[in-house]
Amino acid sequence: MNCKNHYLDIFNITEAGLKEIIAKALSRGGDFADLYFEYTTFFNLNLKDGTVSSGGFHTDYGVGIRVLKGEKTGYAYSENLDMREMLKAADAASAIAQAGGSSLPYRAGTACTPALYPMRKNWRDTDASALLPFLLDVEKKVTAQDSRIVKVMARLSNSVCDVLMYNSFGEITYDTRPMGSISVTAVFQHEGKSENKSVSRSFRMGAELISGALADEIAAEVAEGIDERFEAIRPKGGQMAVVMGAGPSGVLLHEAMGHAFEADFNRKGQSIFSDKMGQQICPKGVNVVDDGTLEFNRGACRYDDEGVAGQKTYMVADGVLNSYLHDRISAAWYGVEPTGNGRRENFRYNPIPRMRATYMESGNADPSSIIADVRQGIYVKELSNGQVKIGEGDFTFFVKSGFLIEDGRLTAPVKDINIIGNGPEALANILAVGNDLKIDNGTWTCGKEQSVAVSCGMPTILVKSLTVGGE
Amino acid sequence: MIQAHEIEIARHCISFACGNGADNARVNLNKSSIDSCNMLNGELDKVTHAADRSIYLYLYVDGKYGTFSTNMLEKDKLEDFILKAIDMVRMLGEDQCRKLPDPSRTERNARTGRELGLYDEALEQSDSDSRLGRAYAMSIWNDENANHSEEYHIISEECEYSESYDDSITIDSQGFEGRHTESAFSFFAEVTVQDNEGNRYSGYWWDTTPRKDAADPAECSRKALERAVAQIGPQPRRSGRARMVVDSSVASRLVAPVLNALNGSALQQKMSFLDGALGHKVFGEGMNLMDHPRTEGRNGSRMYDSEGVSTKDAPVIKDGVVCQYFINTYNAAKMGIEPTVEDASRPCLMPYLKDKELADGEISVSLRDILQFCRNGILVTGFNGGNTNPVTGDFSFGIEGFAFSKGKITHPVREMLITGNLKDLWNNLIAAGTDARPSSRWQIPSIAFENVSFSA
Repeated sequence: MNCKNHYLDIFNITEAGLKEIIAKALSRGGDFADLYFEYTTFFNLNLKDGTVSSGGFHTDYGVGIRVLKGEKTGYAYSENLDMREMLKAADAASAIAQAGGSSLPYRAGTACTPALYPMRKNWRDTDASALLPFLLDVEKKVTAQDSRIVKVMARLSNSVCDVLMYNSFGEITYDTRPMGSISVTAVFQHEGKSENKSVSRSFRMGAELISGALADEIAAEVAEGIDERFEAIRPKGGQMAVVMGAGPSGVLLHEAMGHAFEADFNRKGQSIFSDKMGQQICPKGVNVVDDGTLEFNRGACRYDDEGVAGQKTYMVADGVLNSYLHDRISAAWYGVEPTGNGRRENFRYNPIPRMRATYMESGNADPSSIIADVRQGIYVKELSNGQVKIGEGDFTFFVKSGFLIEDGRLTAPVKDINIIGNGPEALANILAVGNDLKIDNGTWTCGKEQSVAVSCGMPTILVKSLTVGGE
Repeated sequence: MIQAHEIEIARHCISFACGNGADNARVNLNKSSIDSCNMLNGELDKVTHAADRSIYLYLYVDGKYGTFSTNMLEKDKLEDFILKAIDMVRMLGEDQCRKLPDPSRTERNARTGRELGLYDEALEQSDSDSRLGRAYAMSIWNDENANHSEEYHIISEECEYSESYDDSITIDSQGFEGRHTESAFSFFAEVTVQDNEGNRYSGYWWDTTPRKDAADPAECSRKALERAVAQIGPQPRRSGRARMVVDSSVASRLVAPVLNALNGSALQQKMSFLDGALGHKVFGEGMNLMDHPRTEGRNGSRMYDSEGVSTKDAPVIKDGVVCQYFINTYNAAKMGIEPTVEDASRPCLMPYLKDKELADGEISVSLRDILQFCRNGILVTGFNGGNTNPVTGDFSFGIEGFAFSKGKITHPVREMLITGNLKDLWNNLIAAGTDARPSSRWQIPSIAFENVSFSA
């Protein structure tokens, strides 16, 4: 089902009702108003100690009402979709009109976009009894991988989110956004030492996600590289060359570049890239993309949360800063088209510029030759959380596993070290880009004010120098 | 706030669930509201009004367990929701360790939600004009731009002032009923400056208090500016080992992984570097961590945990010895040990100066005292990313702050990392102050360690 009336029915609202709320929202002189109706169901199953012994489901339902006056925002929401309650929220949001400011054109294309994540098997029609065997299969396959495994924890979660968006231009958009995620952690013990390894997968797709093949893939990845973890050392810290392996290293782009390219930080002058539009910020040949159009990808957006069509945005083209990531406010302020990056955690939050799937396109270098060119450095294999200081451009990410590089060869395994660098310097110091772009399909979540699902990707790259934590 | 008819709805959920197959049930009904005003560069940028409601159900059915939530509180919808929830629980695996806490352990005196003095009725008299007035008063944008410095200029100033409440009721099928209500008056400012060479630096400051008359947002933005300006002119520093002082505004970052490791969920799943540490001295002599959950009028206080179990003041770590794990009913049954409370409420790190006697009750140890005590090293005023391996306690964090020499700050540092193991770090504790921020839920003062590995 994918038609306007279906979504109007979900929220028990008519088009006349939508117009009435918008009229109330603009009654004190706002320039623009929009409504974001959301109905989300969440479901989870948790396996511990060999049993799926907890689980549950959760529902969330409401409407967020935004009024803009210039670039200023009034925002309120209601969890009760009774018309009186929605009009009260519209009135609260309308108060921003007293802030003054000029009228801006927030209009954007809402052209019909392809279905990026159709569900073949709707999660809402799939109960626990159909999903439980998958988790038990994962546990069995993981445990069989390594006799040193003493604990396996697994979590299967899914959500289905229906959204209906309407704004004062009369644009109406709607979407159903599924998400399925599986996370597995295993604890290993060997000769009095403990290690742990976590693996996750997350896609915007229905229950067709779960399969024996996925269980096999996860089990193999959990066990892979665990010997190195037990042997891993802390390297001597300091500045050195860093080779970022393909895939999860995309978090480097997310932190070092993506956040600093979000247009709200630039509009406010806070980003270190605020005055660099059109300048060469990376070596020639480097292309960095934020993409909402990857089918079934965790960061895919058929429409963003302002009703703007999903797009593929070249932030850096041939090394030149080409575009910020815009919502309607920043696009109007800069006089450009929105890029479909206006996203929010749920109806309780106003949309702000956020990333989707952020990656660097493949270059020409052979990954093994990139490593061979390094005399002394670190090869980053698996990493986790990152962070950035927007003004200074200082970013960090945490390396869960990797290797020392000595005279062009991977030698001793390393683990649990943080790496820190400065965004513009790191980008300018990219010496080689591999031909092996890989999108990482883990459960990446970005936490800028609100949590939103994202993904990242990277080919193997060599950065001339970053600061590596160590003994 | 939660109304009488909503309490009846919560009670009805219990009786309906137990009348339709649940052996036991717990319900948590929560309502909250927040009004906030955001300023950008001296002008109003955003006003927000938010009111939330939710009901969480914890169902125990035939030795099985599930958790469910919704924000639809209409009775007929809830009944349908509960029936579906019971059906789902029946599909799960059996786990006899899932049960409600022993009723003798649950709190009996949290009836009004206001017993700990965390709710200020002044919130009800507050209106949008007064909030706007406070938000405008926070901004220093116009003053600073009129008297601008020769060393820097302000690029942006963001200020937020908010007023909120959180009201929750927990009821279970064994007769427990508890209510917890708190208000919050909060403010936050972030200022970004640019020096004459084009480098940007940002600083922030914040505070929150349950009482309106205790909230003083006037200096917030100026403190954020001072913190930004103080970072101008960082100097490179070599890798090596040094003494590290951590400012009270960020010191809880080094306590959090210790408390996580004392939690039953981590211990039961062998995901804790403090597995087997109960009753053992694993940290330095000077590490004394108390939990003070019943301090009236102070953020973090609560009379019962999420299961309804009574909280009490108790030592967590005494003279480096682990005195308490945080074990809920489920993990206690799984581990075959006595339950305690689910987690720490208001952990307080006690003052300490290595090799110095501190008299009880009359001590004051400031950040300045600690810098003097340590003489030389790095003062950490912010963390930038990093993580801890929960199984080994190995950590690596990005830091920023200042080098200090002879007890005085000399210059800012940035793009540095600290790396080590939490047990080693806390065994190298040499000082803990008395300057924990009064409004913080966690009372962690400025602290100092020796022999910390810095990378640059």
